[in-house]
Amino acid sequence: MASIPVRFETLIESYHDEIYSYVWRLLDSATSADGTVEAPDVTQEVFMRAYKSFERLRPDSNHRAWLYKIATHCTYTALKHGQRRAQHSVPLEDEHEDLAGADPLPDGLVVQHEALAMVRRSIAALPAKQQMAVMLRHVQGLDYAEIAEALECSEDSARANVYQAVRRLRRELAKAQRVQEGE
Amino acid sequence: MAERWLEELRNAVRAPSDEGVAQSRRQVQNWFARTAPLIEWDAVESPVGPLYIAVSAKGVCSVDFGVTRSAFLSQLDPLACVEHNPAAVAFVTAQLREYFAGDRLRFDLPLDLSRLTPFQQRVLQITRGIAAGTVWTYRQVAEAMGKPKASRPVGQALGHNPVPIVVPCHRVVASDGSLGGYSAGGGLESKRLLLQLEGAL
Repeated sequence: MASIPVRFETLIESYHDEIYSYVWRLLDSATSADGTVEAPDVTQEVFMRAYKSFERLRPDSNHRAWLYKIATHCTYTALKHGQRRAQHSVPLEDEHEDLAGADPLPDGLVVQHEALAMVRRSIAALPAKQQMAVMLRHVQGLDYAEIAEALECSEDSARANVYQAVRRLRRELAKAQRVQEGE
Repeated sequence: MAERWLEELRNAVRAPSDEGVAQSRRQVQNWFARTAPLIEWDAVESPVGPLYIAVSAKGVCSVDFGVTRSAFLSQLDPLACVEHNPAAVAFVTAQLREYFAGDRLRFDLPLDLSRLTPFQQRVLQITRGIAAGTVWTYRQVAEAMGKPKASRPVGQALGHNPVPIVVPCHRVVASDGSLGGYSAGGGLESKRLLLQLEGAL
């Protein structure tokens, strides 16, 4: 059976929101700036590039993975242009100050807040490919074939990157929890 | 254990605000509306069932029947911005209504055949000139093109006619007197119905 042709317009309807979230998250984890400032322009760039090459795409392609591939490129380029790197992200101490300025949080929430900040820092500190792979798998919900296409690598490599990222993050988290529990 | 860990990961990775998502979606949709060619469409009732009509800036680009709405829309130019706009298509639907009421023998409409090959365009131009109430054979069309051996390619080109009825490919039949083929909605049944309507059968 011939596949039903896909119109570009329906790609915007189907995938804009998750592509935007992906771009926003990559920017958010790599920069101190709020992702909301830059993410709409990067997302528009993703769809502009996709539009230009849409007719050359094979009809049986995985459009979702293809858009993620373009989104990964565009975000990476935007980050390079901005010369922003993980080390510019908000240090934990600053978040403490933010908290101190606001209404005091109950103790439990402060602890939770610190733990989340710790995870965020650990994610930001991952090698770029591992970071993207773990986000695509566990936050954006892509399967390994889609991740392989989005990151232009083999499925084995996609699996390996997710696995290594998860291992590293779990180790960091366990360490953080021990610190919190006062060991 | 693994699931609890994943939950922590998902909690830690922040999500954009709904407002931010909506704003970005509007930005992309606005860019698309500015950039993409516009195609406007409408549907009318007819003796062959709901008839779908689409019009680009150049003219009528698609007519179809015996198909679902989504099937009709999915075969339009994949790069176009498609809008349901009866007013923009009214000049076509008016002529089609007159045709089905027996008040119009030929259509006076601009056509957009830009997605077809030059050969296909030529076949449709010749077919457009076949008067209501008469039929030609595939061979006659081929001869009119100066390619008397091209009956089969002519048949194939007519099979890709994006504007049936308006370009009356139903008026082209086989040399042995049979109806030949009809790829528009309803198949040969529709072809027979249209020819009966025109008094050719």
